Amino acid sequence: MLTKPKISKRKWKPQAAIPYIVLVFASIVAVLPFVWMVLGSFKTGRELRQTPPTFFPQEFTVENYNTIMQDEDLPLALFYRNSTIVAAANVFQVLFTSSLFGYIFAKFDFKKKDLLFWFILATMMLPSQITMIPGYLILAKLKLINKLWALIIPAATDAFGIFLFRQFSLSIPNELLDAARVDGASEFRIYRSVVLPQLGPALATFGMLTFMFNWNAYLWPLIVLTEEKVRTLPIILTWYSNQHANQIHLTMAASVMVVLPVLLVFAFTQKWIVKGITLTGLK
Amino acid sequence: MQDVQKKGRRFFRQVSMKRDAGKRKFLGFTVTPLVLYMTFWTLFPVLWGFALAFFEYSARRSGNTLLGFGGDNPFVGLQHFKSMLNFSPEAPKWVRQFHISFKTTLLFAFIILPLNLAITLPLAALIESVHERVKGIFRTFFFLPVLAPSAGVAIMWGYVFHPQKGLLNAIITSIGGKYVATNWTADQSLMIMGIPVALIAVIVAYIWQDLGYNLVIFIAALQSIPDSVKDAAKIDGVNSWQMFIHIVLPLMKPTILLTSILTMISSFQVFDIIQIMTLGGPNDQTRVMSIDIYDNAFRFQRMGWASAVSIVLFLLVMTISLVQSRMLEADWEY
Repeated sequence: MLTKPKISKRKWKPQAAIPYIVLVFASIVAVLPFVWMVLGSFKTGRELRQTPPTFFPQEFTVENYNTIMQDEDLPLALFYRNSTIVAAANVFQVLFTSSLFGYIFAKFDFKKKDLLFWFILATMMLPSQITMIPGYLILAKLKLINKLWALIIPAATDAFGIFLFRQFSLSIPNELLDAARVDGASEFRIYRSVVLPQLGPALATFGMLTFMFNWNAYLWPLIVLTEEKVRTLPIILTWYSNQHANQIHLTMAASVMVVLPVLLVFAFTQKWIVKGITLTGLK
Repeated sequence: MQDVQKKGRRFFRQVSMKRDAGKRKFLGFTVTPLVLYMTFWTLFPVLWGFALAFFEYSARRSGNTLLGFGGDNPFVGLQHFKSMLNFSPEAPKWVRQFHISFKTTLLFAFIILPLNLAITLPLAALIESVHERVKGIFRTFFFLPVLAPSAGVAIMWGYVFHPQKGLLNAIITSIGGKYVATNWTADQSLMIMGIPVALIAVIVAYIWQDLGYNLVIFIAALQSIPDSVKDAAKIDGVNSWQMFIHIVLPLMKPTILLTSILTMISSFQVFDIIQIMTLGGPNDQTRVMSIDIYDNAFRFQRMGWASAVSIVLFLLVMTISLVQSRMLEADWEY
């Protein structure tokens, strides 16, 4: 009797599994420190003092989180509020100035335009360390140290944003702008009703990057905010960790509470952020 | 007829004049504030920052009326830059710390770059090679640290390297069977191939957070390589390793160059992770220039000296940027 020859549609090669194995292993290594911190935040202080250290919590507890929530020295809601105010204000003003001046540099001519644009580009190359000290001195003279304004007022423009939106505005057809002018629209109205809608996706992407950058900022807030009640989340987290260096079950829980919520939000928007990074090479 | 034409022309001229007036008004209302703002918050601080480097300056001393220059904050000319070249062991402590921080910054950046590329390039190729459906998941795993606050990342890695309660010691203990309590980030006698272990620890944390950037850029570059090129190579019997080395990598050369420069510039300015994990210690082993600038300016009130150091950092960044533009000017033909 003849048997039908077996024809497999696709030959499965064992080599095809190698990338998966390597990637799974690399992912485990990459998330391990994070898992360690999250697991640690559910351990008791006694367990963390044990030698040798344990990996999984023997006695699962949420006591650390309760302690932090009730700690009057650590009003997390206040610091979330501070961080949100600064990040939201800066996203708003940076998007406004970047889109407006990006559009102006792309579509208008005025005296010394090239010089001004060159200057803006040049500031992109300056390391922040150069302006850090005079920036602090100016804010001190204006009595703005330890005010959230210190993080907002000097951050109204973003050289990179202006550059980016100039590139995007170049592709807006002049006919569209002229048509609006013939219809009697004012220049500001044209910016608001014709140009801004065209820049929508770029605004979303750059806004997300700006939010992330402000939310995570460390050096500048560290310099200008020295009083506790005005601190932002990254600053308060390191302060709390130093204060409670011997109770790392508490500091681990605090770190999780500061890092995790926003990281989840970012994770859902990461498609936009990745697009922004690959599009611009922003670092 | 002629009259109508004349009228029409005049009408258009009026409209366009009105329009130009509108444009001028618009520019006046927008560009003028921008120029004023940037003069005050960018140009002025930059000039002030450069000027500070030629003074002995502290915010605590009042000095003269004009920005506190002069008086108690005397002009010292090129003194700061001259003492940077004082390599004798009797040089003041801050001069020796500057030398250490300059070396450490370069060492840090030149370890980060090859390590970063050695991880991200193969990783990008691997992620590109797996099934479409799981690609996104893997990419997310490696990209998420980019989005995390570096303060959180530094604290988290502190738990890995913690001498009593750390993950690293726990792993070594479980493999070796004997409890170890190595203080990875604070024991200055620990060295691997002449590189302090504390420095390696901050490098690991930095790379962990930073590699997602280059990864997504490389994935995008890989995707932009046309299928026709790859198909042609496949027909010629090229295996996937040869394809990566001889076809993919050369095509990605411009991208790799650009990301290398960006990686280098940002690692010259590393601050957060080192400040939180080691404070520049132990014994200045992880002291990089931005830590040195911060310490001098805001802890020791040597703002003039700190400005001079920041100018050196600026020159370092400029040099690399110039090399970058030279390299990009060269022709890149596929």
